[in-house]
Amino acid sequence: MKQKENHIDKLLTLRTRREFSEQTTDWYKSISLPDAKRLARHINTLESIEHVFRLGVIHTYTSDLLNPWLDFHAAIQGLELHTYHAPYGMNIMESQENSGLFAHKPDLTLFLLTREDLHPSLANPISEYNDGQLQQIHDEIITHLANILSKFRTNISGHFVLTILPRILPAALGLFDAQADRSEEAWWASLKEAIATKLRNTIESSMFVDLDQMLATLGRKQFFDLRYWYTSRFPFTPQAANELARRTLNLAAVLKYPKAKVIVLDADNTLWGGIVGEDGINGISLGPEYPGNTFVDFQHRLLDFQKRGFILAICSKNNPEDVQDVLDNHPHQVLRKHHFSAQRVNWLPKPENLISLAEELNLGLESFVFVDDSDHECNMALNQLPQVQVIQTPAKPVEIPACLEQIARLEILSLTQEDQQKTQLYLQENQRKNLQKELEAGGNDIRQYLASLNMEMNISIDSTDNISRLAQLTQKTNQFNLTTRRYSEQQIRHFIESEQWTVASFSLSDTFGYSGIVGLALFHHLNTSETEIDSFLMSCRVIGRQAETAFLVFMLNYLASNSVSSVAADYLQTHKNKLVSDFYDNHDFLLEKNGRYKRDLSEFQLDKDLFPPIKVTHKTEK
Amino acid sequence: MNTQDQVMQTIAETLNVPLSTINKDSAAENMDIWDSFAQVNLMMALEQTFDITLEVEDLMKLNSVTSITDFIERNS
Repeated sequence: MKQKENHIDKLLTLRTRREFSEQTTDWYKSISLPDAKRLARHINTLESIEHVFRLGVIHTYTSDLLNPWLDFHAAIQGLELHTYHAPYGMNIMESQENSGLFAHKPDLTLFLLTREDLHPSLANPISEYNDGQLQQIHDEIITHLANILSKFRTNISGHFVLTILPRILPAALGLFDAQADRSEEAWWASLKEAIATKLRNTIESSMFVDLDQMLATLGRKQFFDLRYWYTSRFPFTPQAANELARRTLNLAAVLKYPKAKVIVLDADNTLWGGIVGEDGINGISLGPEYPGNTFVDFQHRLLDFQKRGFILAICSKNNPEDVQDVLDNHPHQVLRKHHFSAQRVNWLPKPENLISLAEELNLGLESFVFVDDSDHECNMALNQLPQVQVIQTPAKPVEIPACLEQIARLEILSLTQEDQQKTQLYLQENQRKNLQKELEAGGNDIRQYLASLNMEMNISIDSTDNISRLAQLTQKTNQFNLTTRRYSEQQIRHFIESEQWTVASFSLSDTFGYSGIVGLALFHHLNTSETEIDSFLMSCRVIGRQAETAFLVFMLNYLASNSVSSVAADYLQTHKNKLVSDFYDNHDFLLEKNGRYKRDLSEFQLDKDLFPPIKVTHKTEK
Repeated sequence: MNTQDQVMQTIAETLNVPLSTINKDSAAENMDIWDSFAQVNLMMALEQTFDITLEVEDLMKLNSVTSITDFIERNS
């Protein structure tokens, strides 16, 4: 008990919220309820709240008891939490426009359901049913869940998180379950997979969070408290309530804060143990034995993060040859040169390197997560670049492989094809830059360079195929974004279906590869002849290829041929979109007295000579 | 700090009320905020703070400063 108090006393000396949210260990795990309250109060007196977060809870077991833990993790994430607990039960009324949930306007709705809510038969162990019955139950569950959630989706905005409480008792067949041909765990696992697939394909902005994963992390005894379950229908131990709240508020942080996009890594004592400049390539710890095996695992974990859609970069004070030698030749190095989208290996101060990395990658510093073992480097970055999230690599090698697991902003809410190919896309961009340099050195102009890329643009109009990507573009794009309006998947779907809107997006491919969907424009038709451009944006990674001009001119031509005679547009300045401040000026729009841009399309003619050297195809679906 | 003070402090923290509003006679029956939810939260807080394990039968009975203090002194 003495020890516990000291632990809290130490936490109460932390001076900033960042220090709490950037802890690499699961320090919060053993916090008691009164301590969680003290800490939450302490954290909230340190700094002002950054955002309000509105949480809705639909529950078929007691959920109010989660409140202190939700408030605790909200404090850590800098969120002022407003929680609404719907009346007990899986109540369809809550999906209606006069419901408490609707009025609460939740940013996120957490569904806390039990297995019986999915299907009454699940109140009993599944070993009581035969194969045919099980298949029927499976199918009925999927249909039933999809029905209910789509009713909620119709009226309730924000993100949905579905959870299903694991069975209070372990599998009916006990130890033999894993061996049984009708294993309960196996059936349950396949059901969960089907639920997740259904959600992914039919319910926008929704995700299934698997509580079995949490059960496995904590252990059954640390997860369920049967005393409170049987007396108050509250299933969780304080540790489990704490963990569930943490996971929920991590998602809240991902929704409310700028997206993290890059993990910038120090090399010595982060990617490997020891200092390559002193210990030599054969002297660093990296390989099958301790402590080298912890670094190998950490590198594999970084590859996982890359698969989540984060790109990797190196920022190290070293001789470039030494680091390159390890990347190219060390037999146990997992991450090779091609895994890193950019590198800064030199002796310059790291904040300076981070700034130039941001420029090279065309990304804002607020999308950076910087990982370094040195107190000095971490403090420099913290003090000089407050936008950057700084994570200090733990001193104990065994803690290194999992050191990024607690970082909320490294969680993701969706995974598009573009996310998974991101590293490759940045690699292609480097090849383009090299080609451009070569051509410029040979006295060619920009148009010749662009023509040599053999670009093809594919424009989709009102297609429902990639709604999650389109919503993601509005949420993530900051620099090449004329109005910076953020839209959810449901809103995008609404625009696509509405006659008053035209939703156009494009993908681009060239000699070096396919960019994925990188541009989006939303046109709002005020009447048959007047249209306004509600949003016009493009991913940074295709900047510099005149794709924006091709896209805009093509769309103006499309509108003109659909009898639109005038287009209004706005440039809404933010501190990040200076890049496009003269975009409309450069595209023959006139700035009117009311501050809006306008372009007359009544005599619009497509000028083929001025059109960028891009072959455009399009398909329309409305 | 004696057990009773520690109990009163834990109650104040858990119910989100100033310590000054809690005295040795405080109990669920004379505090509106000490409802059944608060009771469950309080039991969890007591278990964690005093490192004790409560039986189901104790959960609802321990609803005053006196009964809680007595229980902890008897069981630790």
